[in-house]
Amino acid sequence: MKSAVKQSAPVVYVVDDDAAVCESLDSLIRSVGLRVETFSSAREFRRNELPEAPACLVLDVRMPGQSGLDLQRELAGEERTIPIVFITGHGDISMSVRAMKAGAFEFLTKPFQDQDLVDAIHQAIERDRATLRLRADLAELRRRYHSLSPREREVMGLVVQGRLNKQIAAELGTAQITVKIQRANVMKKMRTASVADLVRIAEKLEIEQPS
Amino acid sequence: MRLRRADGEYRWFLIRTVPLRDEQGNILKWYGTSTDIEDRKRAEEALRETQGVLARVTRVTVVGQLTASIAHEVNQPLGAVVTNADAALRWLDGKRPNLNEAREALQRIIRDGNRASEVVARIRTLLKDGTPIKTEFNLGDAIAEIVALTEAEAQHRQISVQTRIESNLPRVTADRVQVQQVLMNLMINALDALEEVIDHSRGLTISARTDSPDSVRIAVQDTGIGVDRQQAERLFQPFFSTKPNGLGMGLAISRSIIEAHGGRLWMTANDGPGVTFQFDLPVENGGAT
Repeated sequence: MKSAVKQSAPVVYVVDDDAAVCESLDSLIRSVGLRVETFSSAREFRRNELPEAPACLVLDVRMPGQSGLDLQRELAGEERTIPIVFITGHGDISMSVRAMKAGAFEFLTKPFQDQDLVDAIHQAIERDRATLRLRADLAELRRRYHSLSPREREVMGLVVQGRLNKQIAAELGTAQITVKIQRANVMKKMRTASVADLVRIAEKLEIEQPS
Repeated sequence: MRLRRADGEYRWFLIRTVPLRDEQGNILKWYGTSTDIEDRKRAEEALRETQGVLARVTRVTVVGQLTASIAHEVNQPLGAVVTNADAALRWLDGKRPNLNEAREALQRIIRDGNRASEVVARIRTLLKDGTPIKTEFNLGDAIAEIVALTEAEAQHRQISVQTRIESNLPRVTADRVQVQQVLMNLMINALDALEEVIDHSRGLTISARTDSPDSVRIAVQDTGIGVDRQQAERLFQPFFSTKPNGLGMGLAISRSIIEAHGGRLWMTANDGPGVTFQFDLPVENGGAT
């Protein structure tokens, strides 16, 4: 299925309290053709709305006020999550383990090779692109599902359980021909050609199966 | 007076002479004593040297406690230098080299390299001993430099540091490095007192304000574990320390530095948790910025 939402140009966010570090990362990331926005604190970054474009966050672990790990924890609770590449001047193992366990994409200790950072950023953006696509696909499926009438949803629920038209008609106390029409409507509105597809969609939508 | 003893050794002697006079005041004869004070003289010198060594050890110890902090202060600009150099190469190596971007990255390298060496120079000055040189300087800047050096250490210990410098603070006349040494000492003490705090927030506030027309007051206030009354009396005595590995010279030396500047250094307990160390520094009249 093609994504309904067209994705715009990726953006890299850099959060580091040191202005010199921010400037250098800004230049390095722009030199590989990516859009960059820099922030001097977690709070400043939080004021910024996260984009629908694929993004990643390059984050300093240690900052005055809210630390990078605090910000990571806070962002994890959000609906829109973005991959985080941590950089630190003096990372110890326990710190990196904590960050990785909490879902960090990469943890780089200074001095790092610029290529390592560039690679991590590209991979993080690709992962975010995939995540966004999945989200968009899911949103589109939901939209389609919501366009079904209550009776059509019932029919769909029974179809994905593998019931035949005859069985569905008996269960719903309706004519078999009516079920046939409703079933065709479901397939059309969900834009799918096979029952197998419909089952996959139902799984993605986590539709409660009537038992 | 330095005299040569019979065995050929030169030694210091204290010579005192008193005349014996008759009733008219004529001198009849002289009485004289000659005391060998070589040993005392040597002891005094040794004491001075020891004090100097102690002061130096104290400074090294204090700076030593900030190793991680200092490393961070130096590594930040160095990291930026390397990243800027990487960026410059990429701007030059592209299909269409972008000279402006490369130039800007190079300029940042110069700036950040200088910043790193300034930090190192600052540490060296803080470790240096020597005769005090009084200059007129901006206290706010001097405080900011020390706060920057201790920042990473404070963060590591989860202590929030606030600075409150009164605007239009007059310039003070003092030995800038010594004032910074005192301030650093007080801040390290505060960080140590705060590290043991677990039941309330760890806060450290450095403030400077005009106290009178001819002095400014610098205060280092912490919300640490505080000092009990018995300890408070001995706090400024040499070799008294509440820390397991403390040398016990920090506050004694700090106080003597401030007193040599015609100021005083003292401690008061806060209304809330913790203590405040304060000292005054004289201001030259009409020295307002």
